[in-house]
Amino acid sequence: MWLPLLGLIFGVSLGLLSDIQIPQVYSNYLSIAVLAALDTLFGGIRAHLQHIYDDKVFISGFFFNIVLAACLAFLGVHLGVDLYLAAVFAFGVRLFQNIAVIRRILLAKWSDRGKNSQGESS
Amino acid sequence: MKKTINIKFTLVLLLIGFMIAVQYNSMENPKQRDTRDIWAIRQELAEEKKLHSELLSEIRELDNTISSYRSLSDSSTGQAIKDTVDRLHQKAGTTDIEGPGIVIEVRPSAESIAYGIPITSISSDLLTRFVNDVNRFKGINMEIDGKRYNVMSSIRVINGSTSVNGLNVSTPPFKIKIISQTMSDSEKLYNYLLASSIHDDFYLDNLILDIKPPEKDIVISGWSEKFENLYLNELPKGD
Repeated sequence: MWLPLLGLIFGVSLGLLSDIQIPQVYSNYLSIAVLAALDTLFGGIRAHLQHIYDDKVFISGFFFNIVLAACLAFLGVHLGVDLYLAAVFAFGVRLFQNIAVIRRILLAKWSDRGKNSQGESS
Repeated sequence: MKKTINIKFTLVLLLIGFMIAVQYNSMENPKQRDTRDIWAIRQELAEEKKLHSELLSEIRELDNTISSYRSLSDSSTGQAIKDTVDRLHQKAGTTDIEGPGIVIEVRPSAESIAYGIPITSISSDLLTRFVNDVNRFKGINMEIDGKRYNVMSSIRVINGSTSVNGLNVSTPPFKIKIISQTMSDSEKLYNYLLASSIHDDFYLDNLILDIKPPEKDIVISGWSEKFENLYLNELPKGD
């Protein structure tokens, strides 16, 4: 539990301390890549909680989603259509759905644990 | 099994954290939006180019000095250094200088004399404004009421009277002499000053600028005070 959190903190501090900046033109790509990564992450957590987690799906999904989102944004720029909005919309919806499922599972687990402890005590 | 999942999540989170931090950095900087239009940018570019060419000419001058040092034999190195010191003295304005330039007389306006308005010393603000206006032109040497004006000079009010280099500027009329590099530079300065709006500022203070046409030989005196050097020290001999 703590190790992933530590990874997040380490990544953020590495990014802030290295003071790397990307040109304004490419910030769209990065933002959509972040969104794709978050989507994959929450998908992974959900799959883990539902006991259907697969390493290959998770890792391939992580990189594939990022690349696909960036490609979509790139295509959008060249076609003059804000295609990256499609990716933002899709990832946004999935993000909410995944978080909702995670919440339900956690709630179910929590209430189960409550019931169990009640049963044991009585 | 759980351990490998943890490591993978850690790596993914590390990447996400890094990407978020980079995105944050990119969004934060620059904090202020660049709202200059193309002309403002062009103007800035022109200023930078001017600076660039000035630096280049300075480098060329220094290169010349170096090559003159190199070409001289040991016996005449002293002479070369002496020449350099002389040139630096001239640049700093410590020596008398003669050259083409213009003389400007600051006089009380005819109206103020007619109305009997008391003549007061020129205000320091007005004098500073005039000096700034003239300093648009590069390579000029200036003397205000017999006081050499250089980079070390100050225009201040001391006990109510305007002073240059700590010496009072006399009440008008007094003369300002400006020497330029060439006669054509002097003519440019003369024409600029004739058309300049600085006349209005002087007139508001009941003064007029009487600008004489450029002359070939104008002499201005050197900086009379001693330089104080607070930063450089002489090394003991033999080191």
